[in-house]
Amino acid sequence: MSIPEEIDFEVDADELTPLVDRDRELGAPSLVVDDLYITYRVFGGKRVAPGTGTPPNLLSRFLSRGRTHVGGITAVEAVRGISFIARHGESIGIVGVNGSGKSTLLRAVAGLIPPTKGSVYVSGDPSLLGVNAVLMGSLTGERNVMIGGLALGLTQDEVEERFDDIVEFSGIGDAIYLPMNTYSSGMGARLRFAISAAAVPDVLMIDEALATGDAAFRKKSKDRIDAIRDQAGTVFLVSHSLATIESICSRTLWIHQGKLVMDGPSDEVCAAYKAFVKAQDSRG
Amino acid sequence: MAPHHVTAHVTDPVHPSGPHPTDGSVNGVPIPSRPGRAVPADGELPEELGVFASSDDLRAVAEASGLRQMGVRPPLGEYIRSVWARRTFIRTLGNAKAYARNQGSYLGQLWSVLTPLLNSMVYVLVFGLLIKSTRGVTNAIAFIVVGVFMYRFFDSSVSSGARSIKGNLSLVRSVHFPRAVLPVSTTVTELATLAPAIVVMCLISWTSGLLPEYADVPITWRLLLLPPAVLLMWVFNTGCAFMVARWVAITPDLENVIPFALRFVFYASGVLFSVTHYAGHGPIAHLLNYQPIAVYLNLARSAVLDEPTIPVDGVMWIFGAGWAVLFLLVGFFIFWRGEERYGRD
Repeated sequence: MSIPEEIDFEVDADELTPLVDRDRELGAPSLVVDDLYITYRVFGGKRVAPGTGTPPNLLSRFLSRGRTHVGGITAVEAVRGISFIARHGESIGIVGVNGSGKSTLLRAVAGLIPPTKGSVYVSGDPSLLGVNAVLMGSLTGERNVMIGGLALGLTQDEVEERFDDIVEFSGIGDAIYLPMNTYSSGMGARLRFAISAAAVPDVLMIDEALATGDAAFRKKSKDRIDAIRDQAGTVFLVSHSLATIESICSRTLWIHQGKLVMDGPSDEVCAAYKAFVKAQDSRG
Repeated sequence: MAPHHVTAHVTDPVHPSGPHPTDGSVNGVPIPSRPGRAVPADGELPEELGVFASSDDLRAVAEASGLRQMGVRPPLGEYIRSVWARRTFIRTLGNAKAYARNQGSYLGQLWSVLTPLLNSMVYVLVFGLLIKSTRGVTNAIAFIVVGVFMYRFFDSSVSSGARSIKGNLSLVRSVHFPRAVLPVSTTVTELATLAPAIVVMCLISWTSGLLPEYADVPITWRLLLLPPAVLLMWVFNTGCAFMVARWVAITPDLENVIPFALRFVFYASGVLFSVTHYAGHGPIAHLLNYQPIAVYLNLARSAVLDEPTIPVDGVMWIFGAGWAVLFLLVGFFIFWRGEERYGRD
């Protein structure tokens, strides 16, 4: 469980620890996703109708131009019919090209975006770790630790008790007493990770959070993820780094245009996804 | 493709359930899984993996594993309990936001007193020295200062309550908690901002009594009625914040209408003049006198001022309590009804 300290983030798979415990015993289901659909309302967008052969007449063209500026609502189907079951002790990667619905799926599974159709069943209170998780920039890191901890459902005493651990884990030292908008993006991400990891959830979701931070911090976060998995939790990881996914996750879901296209062992899915991206590249 | 580890165990017969469920079933309910499939050819996009078990089967598995359905509206009682359980979060978030307002300047938190002081100086100058109108009261400055400060409490609670879901969308989409926390914490922020302003308000009112043409504003036992009046108004504001938060979250256009509605309420509530003085004693005057904002302004004024036309009135207190409870209950109910939609729309 060690990675060289000097490596950069863009790593090759073999620089990270290979996943040794692929065949660990799996527990009961911790997450059941049943035919999930998520549709967003987007205001002020232009409705792009699927190509009808005939050009629209002048009136409807005029009306449709008006629709862009007044009453322009577009329904964006970010997730379109995804079903799967995750089990305790599993770590699952999610891959897919930009805009394929990975983050939306993660948020829906965490109960943060209510499903338009279908159901999501989760064990306990899932916790989402994202680089976007918002804390209050004008307040000190110290206050944000309290706000973040309380938001996650810890009591005031529990947060105070874990405060030193959180600060130590984040490794930002005395900067904890400075306003968060003075932090570098890496420091902010580390503090968010540390806060979210303070409450050990049954289901932990990580959205690109490992992309920030230096090698030492990434090793620490990987250890923390392993610890959560050992406590029979389930870990979800969205990342564009296939190396990270292959090293952390035993199973991988490939999402394409809001649909699940592949679900299986990480090495198989990542290889197929890599080949697909390469083929797209050479075609385009 | 070799079936992956989940499918590998699924054909197991149903095991007797124990403390540790077996791989193929949970508490006697078999866990459905996908049949294995060939790995796609080089660079090809695999076909979509659709539904692999019926909704009833999946629900049965979820129930057997003790899972909770996400993204659905919890029952009202459970929802109230979960909001109550987050009361420390509400208080901390509300106070932190009030504190953050005055950050980023040399004088820092001193602005929590300076802002209301400058604000009331404007009214003292305009209405005390430039426009000398009695407005049917004996101390116009104190009358207006109390009215304006209390009205601003309502105004800012509603405006920031309207933005409480829309403006915190990234928080809503990253942490799971009952969303009713957000409107309440915005009114807590306004209450925390009002606290130093109230002290300034009382001081300015008392000072205005020293001016020769204005009646005294003595310090009496009635000042003790000010905190309960403010608290009742806070409860009322929270109810209003719940309503507008839901409306604006579902229909963002309404946020543009709210300032005009608020300005209408401003003129209909006797903030700058005495309603009784201008509207007389007809049925319309009764309506204007007993509408919620006018009631709370009256309660605050009867506590601070020494106006013969604004005595401490038991009926007003009953109306104040009634409006507060009514708006809180209705507002909370309206907000709860939309709980499963916040964050998506």
